[in-house]
Amino acid sequence: MLSSVFAKTLRERLRAFRWWCLGTLGFVALYGSVYPSISGNKSLNDLIKNYPEALKGFIGFGGNLDIASGAGYLGSEVFSFWGPTVLLAVAISAGAAALAGEEEHGTLDLLLSLPLSRTRCLLEKLAALVCETLALAFVLWILLVVASYSAGMGVNAGNLGAAVLVLLLFALDFGVLALAIGAATGRRALAIGLSATLAVAADVVNALAPLASWLDGVKLASPFYYYTHGDPLRNGVNATDAIILVAIAVAFAAVAPLLFRRRDLAAP
Amino acid sequence: MTAVIRAEGLTKFYGASRGISGLSLEVEPGEVFGFLGPNGAGKTTTVRLMLDLIRPSSGRLELFGLDVRKQSVAVRSRTGYLPGDLRLYERLTPRELLRYFAALRGLDGLGEGKRLAERFELELDRPIRSLSKGNRQKVGLVQAFLHRPDLLLLDEPTAGLDPLVQITFNELLREVAAEGRTVFLSSHILSEVQRLADRVAIIREGSLELVEAIETLRARAFVRVEATFAKPPPRGAFAGLPGVRELERRGPVVVFALEGPADPLIKALARFEVLALDSHEADLEDFFLALYRNGASGAL
Repeated sequence: MLSSVFAKTLRERLRAFRWWCLGTLGFVALYGSVYPSISGNKSLNDLIKNYPEALKGFIGFGGNLDIASGAGYLGSEVFSFWGPTVLLAVAISAGAAALAGEEEHGTLDLLLSLPLSRTRCLLEKLAALVCETLALAFVLWILLVVASYSAGMGVNAGNLGAAVLVLLLFALDFGVLALAIGAATGRRALAIGLSATLAVAADVVNALAPLASWLDGVKLASPFYYYTHGDPLRNGVNATDAIILVAIAVAFAAVAPLLFRRRDLAAP
Repeated sequence: MTAVIRAEGLTKFYGASRGISGLSLEVEPGEVFGFLGPNGAGKTTTVRLMLDLIRPSSGRLELFGLDVRKQSVAVRSRTGYLPGDLRLYERLTPRELLRYFAALRGLDGLGEGKRLAERFELELDRPIRSLSKGNRQKVGLVQAFLHRPDLLLLDEPTAGLDPLVQITFNELLREVAAEGRTVFLSSHILSEVQRLADRVAIIREGSLELVEAIETLRARAFVRVEATFAKPPPRGAFAGLPGVRELERRGPVVVFALEGPADPLIKALARFEVLALDSHEADLEDFFLALYRNGASGAL
């Protein structure tokens, strides 16, 4: 159970992880039970048509605002707001805790007095971060599949899996960013704050892009754009988007050890 | 034979503030080497440089003839470390922590941990967060000795240990040295280092003041005598007394360093009205006082 930094890190995270799973269960159950009363309600769509454009940008997952359909409903409710929030929270908190959390707590001093290179330590923590976020995404996927079938949303497991997969990749971008900021600075609050701020900025830029033409170029730098624009709930995974999201995470993961290796660790 | 620790001109600045500067020393295999200095002198900085937790601003540092930066993992596999400010995984029990560290060191089970825990009477199965300061320190000691390291870097190891456990610790250090292993013992307590070390280095404000065999240091040891007079005695009243030096004057209080028989000083004191007399073996602070009274040449 405690045979490696990877196993130890996962075990530490398990306590909070159970609560994340429980919360996810609760929210999916809530969304599933509300859907039947919205399903086929065209007047709701008419209402949304009159929303300000700025608001539509935030809730239209993949540009689709047909909230009375299963895919539109899940896109607006789960994948535009609540899903990213939960997966980002888990990924960013894991990323910030990985090195900066342990450094602030003072145990990193002892851990790295063992014959363990800094890069190895970082990579094992990174692997634990990926596993934890992946596990929660998997739980979310299973619950959504159950909700979709039982509430008659008509979104198949494959497309749900596609949307959850792209969401996972999106969340990992910011989780790995938090880990890299923590590796570079040793400051947990900074790692959380900066990653979360950038995640929100990514959403805002992408959502407001239709309103301001100068944002059209900027949105291409937003991971949120690659997460949503392919509308994975209807079209499955867009390979280019997925590759770009993976590349962003890999880039952060590649820079992190370089920053971590070169600096002084804070004394407890 | 290769020195276990060799530092040459080792310097560490944190931004503009000093860690250590121009530190050079060698520690031989099988030595218990005392590294003595007041808090903030740079002891912890030196130890953390050896483990590559921080990087030198300049100078060279080798352990076992290996560069501590380039061959850091190899260095750390042969080294046991007790931090001065020990932080442990609060949720684990000592058994879990020791098993974890043993696994990361490539050992099965607890390594030497079980035997050492028995020796220190450390309870292995209570969560660390519920342990007293002394028991935490035992966990720190056991993990440092877990893999029978060739070199032990111990930063203020007896902090929080009760006297009986200190005796066990002293025995353990002697055994380690007898096996030809090396101990680098950082401390701010002169008597502790005198009791345990073969040689001692004294560090102050980041620089080495002296490195000496413990016998030489002991020969320099003196008794601190503090006399409180009814009226301040005239300056020079105690000049030229054999084995007696004035260290300090604070109004009617005069502090002397006494080496050898007390008689000349007692006779001299008796010429004045003495209200109080206090004497004890010199501690580190007295030592520094004596050192700087005589300039930084090291002549005490």
